[in-house]
Amino acid sequence: MELKTRQVNGIIILELEGRFDAHTAQPVDDFLHEATLRDPAYVTVNLAQVTFVDSTALSTLVSGMKRARQRDGDLRLCCLQRPVRMIFELTRLDKAFEIFAGEDEALQAFTS
Amino acid sequence: MLTTILATQHAHFNALANAWLIAGAEAFMVSSDNLPLACWPPFADIEEATLIENLWSGRTKVGELRVVGPSDPASRARLQNEARLISSLIQIANDLHSVTAELVDTQDQLLAMYDLTQAMRDQLDLKKVLSRLARETVRIVKVDAVFVMVQRSDGSWLIQQFPEPILDLTTLEHLLDIIKETGHDLLLSEDDMMNQEIPVRNLLLLPIQLHDSTRAALGLVNKVEGDFMSPDIKLARAIAEHAGARIENALLYRENLTQAKMQTEMELAKRVQLNLLPHHKPTIVGIDFWAGSRPALQVGGDFYDFLHLDGRPFTFTVGDISGKGLPAALLMAMTRTVIRSKVHDAPTPTPEHVVGRSNKDLYDDFTEVSMFATVFVGQYQPLSREMLYANAGHSPVIYCPAGGKARLLKADGTAVGILPTSFSENQRLVFGPGDVLVVATDGLNEAHNELDEMFGYERLLDLIESLADKSAREIAEELYRTVSDFSTGRPQDDDQTVMVLKGLAV
Repeated sequence: MELKTRQVNGIIILELEGRFDAHTAQPVDDFLHEATLRDPAYVTVNLAQVTFVDSTALSTLVSGMKRARQRDGDLRLCCLQRPVRMIFELTRLDKAFEIFAGEDEALQAFTS
Repeated sequence: MLTTILATQHAHFNALANAWLIAGAEAFMVSSDNLPLACWPPFADIEEATLIENLWSGRTKVGELRVVGPSDPASRARLQNEARLISSLIQIANDLHSVTAELVDTQDQLLAMYDLTQAMRDQLDLKKVLSRLARETVRIVKVDAVFVMVQRSDGSWLIQQFPEPILDLTTLEHLLDIIKETGHDLLLSEDDMMNQEIPVRNLLLLPIQLHDSTRAALGLVNKVEGDFMSPDIKLARAIAEHAGARIENALLYRENLTQAKMQTEMELAKRVQLNLLPHHKPTIVGIDFWAGSRPALQVGGDFYDFLHLDGRPFTFTVGDISGKGLPAALLMAMTRTVIRSKVHDAPTPTPEHVVGRSNKDLYDDFTEVSMFATVFVGQYQPLSREMLYANAGHSPVIYCPAGGKARLLKADGTAVGILPTSFSENQRLVFGPGDVLVVATDGLNEAHNELDEMFGYERLLDLIESLADKSAREIAEELYRTVSDFSTGRPQDDDQTVMVLKGLAV
């Protein structure tokens, strides 16, 4: 799975592409560990190109989100594809994360 | 050699000399470098020899046969023959001597090697193997000092020098680089040493061959009395080869020990875990119940539990801690205990209370370790024939009404440990004869086959629908079997827990 990172106004944006599962989760976990070291930690994960997530992927995102919130920041998601959105709804993680339809909305929400 | 033969074969020389004297010669002598070694009669004059023939050992002249008196061709021919015969004898005697010397050497080496093998025999500790090797080599090859070095997997060196360190690490690494290039021994004799900046008189360095190309070497420093000769090098090579086998053993032993330790810890953890799962089957009026868990190789975070307390509805739970290994196993134990204690709360808690209060208790700890637990709590109400449940982020939970289609039950709240307050709410489900409820963990739908395909929710739903008329136990066993068949060839890397409830006609 591909990882692309950018920064906009102090917000870290992580773009993932492909299958996000047990085999591909480790580098994301490592990246989020680093990214959530800052204070405050603002991270947006863009899942537009992610076709699938499994429990390990969800676990990675949850850990990242919790660490970010502990540092007065947050980890937010945007651009979920339908099958991925369904998994979030099934496990009610759509209530745990702030999820946005587009990246701009996600970034704006941080600054407001 | 000539003098030796004269001494050992004295009788034959006597006979030879006497034959000449009887034939009319005045004297017969054996000389070397124009000095008489033996004369018949004693004290004859060497200058007066009329016939002289050389004695040879191979191509080296070792002496002469001299006769005083005759000088005719027949006598000359006779002396020539005798000289040839004796030369032959000298050659053979020399060869015998060499062979004997080699034999003695070899015997010495064998004894030395035997000593070494005995000294290192029961040693499995790598450090001790190296230190003993160094010590014995000093004694056997007769050098001032020896060093042995083995490279660890992290690149650092384990070095033993006996009796004390002579060379520093940089020098040792430099020498090692040289033999790595050439692939064989390095011998630096006294002359070579003058150009090197190494504070020793002479040095012999041999690579030690190890199976997995781990680098190792044996170095011998300052041969006592002289330089390293061929027998020393042979002996050192034999030692290096033996050392290779011993070091391999020690490395293997160490690896096995580490693995064995880890495995024991894992097995203990697993045993504790399994003990925390229920050991008996509950009997509930109106419900056919079956539950079981197939743990993965690594300890995991699945748990299931049920409580049937007096005067209270039958309560059952299934949970899955995020992650694997010992951390998940530890949290599993904790979560199960907390949930159990909440079920014991008075007044009788409903599933949403169990989930809510458990979340409150566990939130801080889970946040601390960045983990969470998906939990399903169900409660059977026999009077109304209803299932009450709260699903905190858990899946797969599949409900198949009698004769109807199987469907996934969505979670009503987030998993335990994610948010400080849980907002799970009690959900109601009609549960009459023939209705099936399967609460499992994602080890089933996330099982992979050799083509890397996942079992998935669809297959699970279809399968349960097709099994709906069977008993709870049959449904569970068929689920396990199908998933197992699907993932043949792939190891099970997550726990697989299945709990089946089926409504019975009362």
